[in-house]
Amino acid sequence: MSVHILGIRHHGPGSARNVRAYLEALQPDIVLVEGPPEADPLLQWVGHDQLQPPVAILAYEPETPAHSAFYPFATYSPEWQAISYARSRNIPVKFMDLPLTHVFALENEKQPEPEVPPATDAHHFDPTALLATADGYEDAEAWWDHMFEYRRHNEDIFDAVMESMELLREELSSRNDSMNQLREAWMRKLIRQAEKEMYTEIAVVCGAWHAPALKHMPPAKADNELMKGLPKTKVACSWTPWTFERLSTQSGYRAGITSPGWYMHKWEHPEDNGTRWLTNVARLFREKQMDISTAHVMEAVRLSNALAAMRALPMPALEELNEATVSVLCNGDTLPMQLIRQQLIVSNNIGAVPDDVPKAPLQADIEKHQKRLRLPLTADYKDYQLDLRETNDLQRSILLHRLQLLDINWGEQRHAEGKGTFKEQWRLQWEPALAVDVIDKSCWGNTITDAANAYVTHMATRNRQLKDCCRLLENCIPADLPEATATLIHSVNNMAATNHDVVQLIDVLPPLVSITRYGNVRKTDAGLVLDILESIITRICINLPAASTHLSEDAATALLDQYYAMNDAVQTLSNPRLITQWQQALHKVMNDVQSASCLAGYATRLLNDSRELSAETLLQTFSVAMSVSNDPTAAAMWLEGFLKGSGTLLLVDDSLFALLRNWMQQLEEEHFMQALPLLRRAFSAFSTPERRQIGEKIKQGSTSTTVTNHDTYLHTERAVKGIPVVMQMLGYHLTQKKPENA
Amino acid sequence: MSDILRQHAEVLYATELEALRTQDHDKRPFNWSMSPQSVVTYLTGGTLKNGLEITPKYIGSRRLMEIAVATLATDRALLLYGLPGTAKSWVSEHLAAAISGDSTLIVQGTAGTSEESIRYGWNYARLLSEGPSERAIVETPVMRAMRDGKIARIEELTRIGADVQDTLITILSEKSLPIPELNTEVQATRGFNMIATANNRDKGVNDLSSALKRRFNTVILPVPTSIDEEIDIVTRRVESFEKVMELPAEKPALQEIRRIVTIFRELRSGITNDGKTKLKSPTGTLSTAEAISVVNNGLALAAYFGDGRLNAADLAAGIIGAVIKDPVQDKLVWQEYLETVVKPREEWKDIYRACRDLGA
Repeated sequence: MSVHILGIRHHGPGSARNVRAYLEALQPDIVLVEGPPEADPLLQWVGHDQLQPPVAILAYEPETPAHSAFYPFATYSPEWQAISYARSRNIPVKFMDLPLTHVFALENEKQPEPEVPPATDAHHFDPTALLATADGYEDAEAWWDHMFEYRRHNEDIFDAVMESMELLREELSSRNDSMNQLREAWMRKLIRQAEKEMYTEIAVVCGAWHAPALKHMPPAKADNELMKGLPKTKVACSWTPWTFERLSTQSGYRAGITSPGWYMHKWEHPEDNGTRWLTNVARLFREKQMDISTAHVMEAVRLSNALAAMRALPMPALEELNEATVSVLCNGDTLPMQLIRQQLIVSNNIGAVPDDVPKAPLQADIEKHQKRLRLPLTADYKDYQLDLRETNDLQRSILLHRLQLLDINWGEQRHAEGKGTFKEQWRLQWEPALAVDVIDKSCWGNTITDAANAYVTHMATRNRQLKDCCRLLENCIPADLPEATATLIHSVNNMAATNHDVVQLIDVLPPLVSITRYGNVRKTDAGLVLDILESIITRICINLPAASTHLSEDAATALLDQYYAMNDAVQTLSNPRLITQWQQALHKVMNDVQSASCLAGYATRLLNDSRELSAETLLQTFSVAMSVSNDPTAAAMWLEGFLKGSGTLLLVDDSLFALLRNWMQQLEEEHFMQALPLLRRAFSAFSTPERRQIGEKIKQGSTSTTVTNHDTYLHTERAVKGIPVVMQMLGYHLTQKKPENA
Repeated sequence: MSDILRQHAEVLYATELEALRTQDHDKRPFNWSMSPQSVVTYLTGGTLKNGLEITPKYIGSRRLMEIAVATLATDRALLLYGLPGTAKSWVSEHLAAAISGDSTLIVQGTAGTSEESIRYGWNYARLLSEGPSERAIVETPVMRAMRDGKIARIEELTRIGADVQDTLITILSEKSLPIPELNTEVQATRGFNMIATANNRDKGVNDLSSALKRRFNTVILPVPTSIDEEIDIVTRRVESFEKVMELPAEKPALQEIRRIVTIFRELRSGITNDGKTKLKSPTGTLSTAEAISVVNNGLALAAYFGDGRLNAADLAAGIIGAVIKDPVQDKLVWQEYLETVVKPREEWKDIYRACRDLGA
């Protein structure tokens, strides 16, 4: 009877191969693997056709699914190889780490708000770094790769690992915290148990760091003492598809590796001297329209091998291949390497899980929908353009919207190009972490419809902000959830009635307006929403003039944007009754001297835009607002409001342009000097090309006016002589005043 | 001390090269005077088994030098690419010195470089009297390198006209130089290879044709990554200058070098070292090599006209000269830098005053 301890790193083609070879030679009758014992029943799936790595065991607390842990496996994970060896030989295989039921419970005790714990044992400080430095490597990862992963002949490799780890554990005894001790005690317990069960050849696959602790068995009593009275909690497990991207350290996975795609290549082609790899690189470059010849590849292979020889390596590793790629294929330019990194070194692989693996009902329902609507999970993003007039696309859109309502952000809605409201653009990208979100929402219902309805209703009753409710309503309509929609409309109506804040009311307008537009395509009843909308607009029109008075500059500027949104909403609805109401409100704001100047200015503009003001009224209002007696700041604000965003409008609308020009021309020099800064300020909001074009227009305009001036040239001295006569005819007395216009 | 103004690398570092050669136990490529590993050691420095310290010639990434040497060990030519003053020619000279023991087989590329200066020329007197013959041929450095199996160097490859550049294609791919007049050819002996340098700042240069580019492995020499690395480079090079020039001036204070390097780095990168202020960059490159020459210049000034100690005034003229390459634009850039960055720095008062006094 003997126990064989195989110390490994969690993911590595060399370790995986060694483990496999060792097990083939040893022919053990039981295999113990580092991992949560709760997941033991899941091991029967290994070997199933549809279980394709990378996959992960997802373990979570059913009560609080956000408290979860992942155990990812790639084909080249030694654990995976050990498990699949055992499965293929039909010998028992078991996980032997400290059960998660205790781990989670301990974590819950430690902090009241559970965080997502590290996926597997975390190397806060990589202990192998010490050995790597001693061996003259800068990077512990590279050292391990060269020592263990790239090696092709591995006699006694596990003895070597054991010895080096023994040394390290002596050096770094402080690293063995209580959690580590507990875990190792549990591992020893399972080994003892296996011995008791009369297994003769026991193979143990565990992280290299733990290997020595399992070799030297302390008395069972001490271990049992340590494990006494551990707290417990419920744990559920499932398989979930994983991606290479999430296996890499970039994603924040702490036992991650830097180059999953490269390891896969090393696993599949251990004898490759770079030829195959560099050919793949060249093909990828060619796909991206970079000219790479076969001769380039040959030269790159040669250079990488020469580099390896210089560095005394038996075979070029990723560093050498990358350097050769930069030097030969990219002419020294490192930018294309980003492509290589993304596509080959990390590589976007996604695993698959059999349909009949036990899952949460909600998860199963979502998968059913995904399958029916042909929306496969992909690690890379994929764009969909949905035509909502098609049944299938409409169903897809509904599913995606529902998922979004449940905060499962698989798809991201993007701006659809082209006209019409019947198109939607989505970008879908599956993140393994989404599996947790799905489980997290399982408590809301067993089908996606139930869950979404229940979740939205819950949110509607909990939310006291009108704005949030409307946003929810906006999202709810395209998700086709009549129940939830009804609840939401009801609560929006109630809130709107009691709300006194005009700003908030205007805030909710755009989402509601867009709902009424959606109604056409989605066959939802927009009538209900229209009713609320009308009542809200009426409320706003009544309250707005009062709300626009006595405002600070900042508040007024903020409200200015609301005016814009409001105007937009009213124009979109194009209901004559509402438009009249809105215009009445604008008149009030315009004429009220108490109104904030920029709002009054903007109101004037809006009325002018809809041709509600006669030319005289406009000129009069304009002159009054810009009179010299006014506070210059107020006048400036008025002008700013009046010209808001209208750089192009000034160019196109000749009457507006003429108004401004005439007003300027009649200014006397002194007044002009005062008005100049105000104008400058108002114009500064326009874009540079707009300003330039306005300048050009003015230039053209002024030349044309000089021409007309020339035609009707006034002989001032003579004209002045005629003035008294004219004045007398008009009944004026000369003492009053000279005519203003010169 | 010999009266040669500047010795070749193989003479200047003869002891180091000899020691490396005798200590070398790794495999040498044919006609190489030492193994690739030793060449890398020669370039990046190290300590030999007998305790001899090899001074680093290139301060920077060892991996880059490994790529360069490995390239030369295969039959591909090496193209060193980078900004002016990033030690391209320097590396090229030392590579040739270490590999072939001879860094003199050099062709300077200019717009006027003709095919004759790359392939071969004729001794016309002989040509007229004897007719075409081997003896009437004037060998170029490239031809000699091919015959002897040595490293040929081409400086500023991109300055050579495109049609002339392409004569290299046959030499690099067929490794032979045909002489059609004599119906013969010179075939390269093993060990022959080529190092070309080119800078990527110049405008109006002749880009390599893709056929020629394919014959080169490109190594881009970067500007020094950290300020300490750059200071190290400047200090070492200035020390060796002092040795050659026998300057009586006191050793330059690290403080002064640090300031020069800081000024150059800040102007080059367009941002102050603390990352707080954006700056305009002048038109020149402000390479490390220029920093070295500013310090050298300052040392000479201090030695012959000053009190023998390097101070701000000795450096000011050199700095201004290096920064202001365009009399209008750069002057504004420099004045802005002087007023906004140099002036507020408490311990930089002397340098500010010195620069102001020079009226720039």
